[in-house]
Amino acid sequence: MIPDLLQIPLRDPTVYDELSADGVTPRPHWAGFVESLQAIGSEELAKRWERAERRIRENGVTYNIYGDPLGAKRPWRIDLLPLLISAEEWRSIEAGIIQRARLLNLLLEDLYGSQRLLADGCLPAALLFANPEFLRPLAGVRVPRQTYLHLLAVDLARSPDGNWWVIADRTQAPSGAGYALENRTIVGDALPDLFRIANVQRLAPFFRAQRDALINLAGCDNPRIVLLTPGPFNETYFEHSYLARYLGFTLVEGADLTVRERRVYLKTVEGLQQVDVILRRVDDSFCDPLELRADSFLGVAGLVEAIAAGNVKVANALGSGLIETAAIMPFLPGLSRHLLGESLKLTSVATWWCGQDYELDWVLHHLDGVVIKPAFPSRGMEPVFGAALGKAGKEQLANQLRSRPYEYVAQEQVALSSAPVWDSGHLYSRSVVLRTYVLNTGTAWTAMPGGLVRVAGSDGPVVSMQQGGHSKDAWVLWDGPIDTFSMLPPRNQPIELRGANPDLPSRAADNLFWLGRYAERSENIARLLRALITRVRRAGEAELGCLVRLHSCFDSRHSKLPKKRRPTAMELEQELISLMSDAGRPDSLASNLAEVYRVGGTVRERLSADMTRLIGQLTEAVHVEEYMLFVEYSAVLTGCLELLSAFSGMERENITRGSGWLFMSLGRRLERAMYSARQLREITTPLAESEWPLLEYLLEVADSAMTYRSRYFTTLQPVAVLDVLMADETNPRSLDFQLNHLADLYQKLPRHMPDDLRTMRHAAALLRSFDLRAIHYPLPGAAEPEGNSDERSRLARSLRELEYLLPSWSNNLSNTYFSHARTFPITIGE
Amino acid sequence: MTYRIVHKTTYKYKYPVSVGNHVACLTPRSLPHHRCLRNELHISPSPATRNDRLDYFGNQLSFFTVQEPHKRLVVEARSEVRIDDPRPWPKDSPPWEEAVRSLPEEQSAEFLEAYQFIFESPRIRPGPPFASYAAQSFTPRRPLAEALLDLTARLHGDFRFDSKATNVRTPPEEVFRKRRGVCQDFAHLQIACLRSLNLAARYVSGYLRSYRASGRPRLVGSDVSHAWVSVYCPGAGWLDVDPTNNLVPSQNHVTLAWGRDYGDVSPLRGVILGGRDHTLKVAVDVEPIDA
Repeated sequence: MIPDLLQIPLRDPTVYDELSADGVTPRPHWAGFVESLQAIGSEELAKRWERAERRIRENGVTYNIYGDPLGAKRPWRIDLLPLLISAEEWRSIEAGIIQRARLLNLLLEDLYGSQRLLADGCLPAALLFANPEFLRPLAGVRVPRQTYLHLLAVDLARSPDGNWWVIADRTQAPSGAGYALENRTIVGDALPDLFRIANVQRLAPFFRAQRDALINLAGCDNPRIVLLTPGPFNETYFEHSYLARYLGFTLVEGADLTVRERRVYLKTVEGLQQVDVILRRVDDSFCDPLELRADSFLGVAGLVEAIAAGNVKVANALGSGLIETAAIMPFLPGLSRHLLGESLKLTSVATWWCGQDYELDWVLHHLDGVVIKPAFPSRGMEPVFGAALGKAGKEQLANQLRSRPYEYVAQEQVALSSAPVWDSGHLYSRSVVLRTYVLNTGTAWTAMPGGLVRVAGSDGPVVSMQQGGHSKDAWVLWDGPIDTFSMLPPRNQPIELRGANPDLPSRAADNLFWLGRYAERSENIARLLRALITRVRRAGEAELGCLVRLHSCFDSRHSKLPKKRRPTAMELEQELISLMSDAGRPDSLASNLAEVYRVGGTVRERLSADMTRLIGQLTEAVHVEEYMLFVEYSAVLTGCLELLSAFSGMERENITRGSGWLFMSLGRRLERAMYSARQLREITTPLAESEWPLLEYLLEVADSAMTYRSRYFTTLQPVAVLDVLMADETNPRSLDFQLNHLADLYQKLPRHMPDDLRTMRHAAALLRSFDLRAIHYPLPGAAEPEGNSDERSRLARSLRELEYLLPSWSNNLSNTYFSHARTFPITIGE
Repeated sequence: MTYRIVHKTTYKYKYPVSVGNHVACLTPRSLPHHRCLRNELHISPSPATRNDRLDYFGNQLSFFTVQEPHKRLVVEARSEVRIDDPRPWPKDSPPWEEAVRSLPEEQSAEFLEAYQFIFESPRIRPGPPFASYAAQSFTPRRPLAEALLDLTARLHGDFRFDSKATNVRTPPEEVFRKRRGVCQDFAHLQIACLRSLNLAARYVSGYLRSYRASGRPRLVGSDVSHAWVSVYCPGAGWLDVDPTNNLVPSQNHVTLAWGRDYGDVSPLRGVILGGRDHTLKVAVDVEPIDA
């Protein structure tokens, strides 16, 4: 034994230890694993884990925590060490959770159907009638194949005697399966050899079964299946987009859907497309503002009507949250005998529903030994630990219980088992809860082998991701053959922006368009900044004037430069630093990269894994350290530009040319056309000889210095620069190139507007009509010739008009393709 | 007595509404002494789809979608209802505690149906202040029907009708504090009182024929929707009381629908895209067509 690996401080002898019965010898199914771990050594493990953590950050695996200052960017926390479960033990867990899923499904079927259980006295009617999650509009609505539960999550805890107990059921929209999958990918990659040797049951077959189950649920050929998410602010949004991509479904928000003729339609850039199945991650009562919660912005008005008409299937069925309460637990053994004719295999943790006289009385006499929880979780009450209350507090709690007893349950506190957690070379012992999943395939039930292990934050007994705990992978060590089916496409395979599903929701098109714009805008800012930063320190008085003119191309409303006089080099330098890294300025590079990250996150399921990783790297790309020297900034910018170029390269090479790509490219071209017009206008303004270096800067910003030199062997001439940056149709950075491409891309869009196409073609033609040879710039030192300024000022005016035209053209595009995704429904008559 | 009822709702929007999904609860219920003879819904612009369905409480709901852009939505329900002599008010009724005790214990269909109305609902949360107000009428062992009339009379005496004091979202707690409101508020408040004692009480939406001084023509369209309360009394069934007018509904009350509170039976609601600001006008006309 290497002592530093199996040093587990704070071991509590009163709880079950997953790793070892005596604190010294590993349990049999851990032995091989511990041995291999020691063979790798803690130094190597540390290295591997560093790589894994970087990957988590770059993959953008997040779990949003309400009120957390890191907000949507909080990285998901995983532990290197999986929880190991032996084959024998898993078989008994599996049988238990599958039985439970069958039972809960039958329970829902009865409560939303005949309600015989109430008439037969098997379940107190108050549990149904007082329950705000009992959705009356869904009562009596037929559910195909009685699939109320498509997926069930069961939280298990192991008590000191080694038995697993159910501590909670998640019945309406269970979360975490996607995180379990991501955990597997990360941990499997960090410990590949151990994973292989241990003969671990794979997760992919479970997800394949889930996809097939949803296709079967549709009951039609080529069904359109969507995953309904509350949106990027939901704590598990990462998982929604991850699963949507993995399963090949379109990720949608409520505003992407509409009900017409009692059918659900997806608003896509190609028009309305009927939806057959909704895999939802929106809570029950939020799904339809017309018949359920009128104040919900997350649902689809008329969804219940469409369900009642049998025109759409929802998984899990709406209303399943009814039994997502500990209050049903005491009745499950009886219900199991009544409905299944079997005794319940997995016991729930001891629970008393206070809606019965005897139970209420018992609870009132044993407040010290129980946790009081709401019987109906949506009432939003925090659990109260009876033992933690003083005399007055207990009295108050007792009154509360007496006045409305059916609203409370009491539960015994479980002493959670502990498992080893790896942190900087040491092992610690932490409480764990295992969340397991059961899937209804329509004809059978199947369990995910393993699940999501949630780990308590410190030494505390409360396990909650919302409160900042972390998670583990769970390995079921199998004794039979393994199904090694994989759903993941090879890493470098081109990704269709449309996904496996050909639909591009209007909202996704909107976000892709802006992803293109922000990426391109960031690139322009970085190029301008680099041109300025490399020069500002050594600029003479004349050159400083040129740099100030170049800075004016930012058109910044947030500029910190003095307006009345020429800024000093020091002031310009401060302004440049602020433009680079001040996240409070909307025009800074940092802000724009943050937008790339934000918008990228909303279309994550449409980007390749490598593109997502690049976006993750970009957020840290302009991190300026206190100790950094000014001259180092240009290296930082170069690094940032490399990432941006890699991103645009992947955009060109790794994405198929569907509508999604068209919108992203339109965004990029539009943005480039806008700043290109702005920069060219600087050249059409008369330049004094001393200002000619500006030409060189602009060529550099447009990455066209080489093009220029290969074409004109002369020194810099304004007209020649105009030729390269404006008129050269072969230069991918020229304005002409942007306008032509905008028109070509736009023409390929479904339902494009002929007027808008004409406008863009016309703008391109107008630009071409200028005879650059007719524009004469005065040679340095020579007097300005009469009359020639006319052609130049005409060009300046056209560029100025173009600067107005492009944003309004962009607005038209938005109105045609995105606006209905931005309109929020209003509830009336409430 | 037969009534012809016209209930017209007009929404005017500031901007065009592109799509409106609506649900109307405007079909009078048929009961042993209360027959709905005719009911039509006229909707303008005409909806692309319309479908009727019974809700959990047995009320008829009409779902419709208007898909053409519109700045005005008119929904006019025309009904005819015949009301025969209703059941007489019970002479005897069990002590109210009897109802409280038996409701959770019996599992017959009738009791289960009633039992669901003792619990909190989205707009009515029972509580100690309501319980102590009700307790002055519901004294120990007092017959339920008698106590109910007493509570109705007290509410009528203690609260003032004031159409400006509250709105459609005002919670019963606030009505209780302000001591004023409209029929919907009084119905919610009385239900809160009854449920606080663990009695089963439901919200009834309907119409009231208005009396006019003789010689003056009836004002057409000046009436509005009405609301009152129904309480379950074992042995006697559901007993209706109207706290706004301190009376027992008989031939002058037309029952439209019932539910746990206003939210279950609001006459017309919808979710619209576009429109933004809107104005709402409701006109109800209840005209007797024979004597």
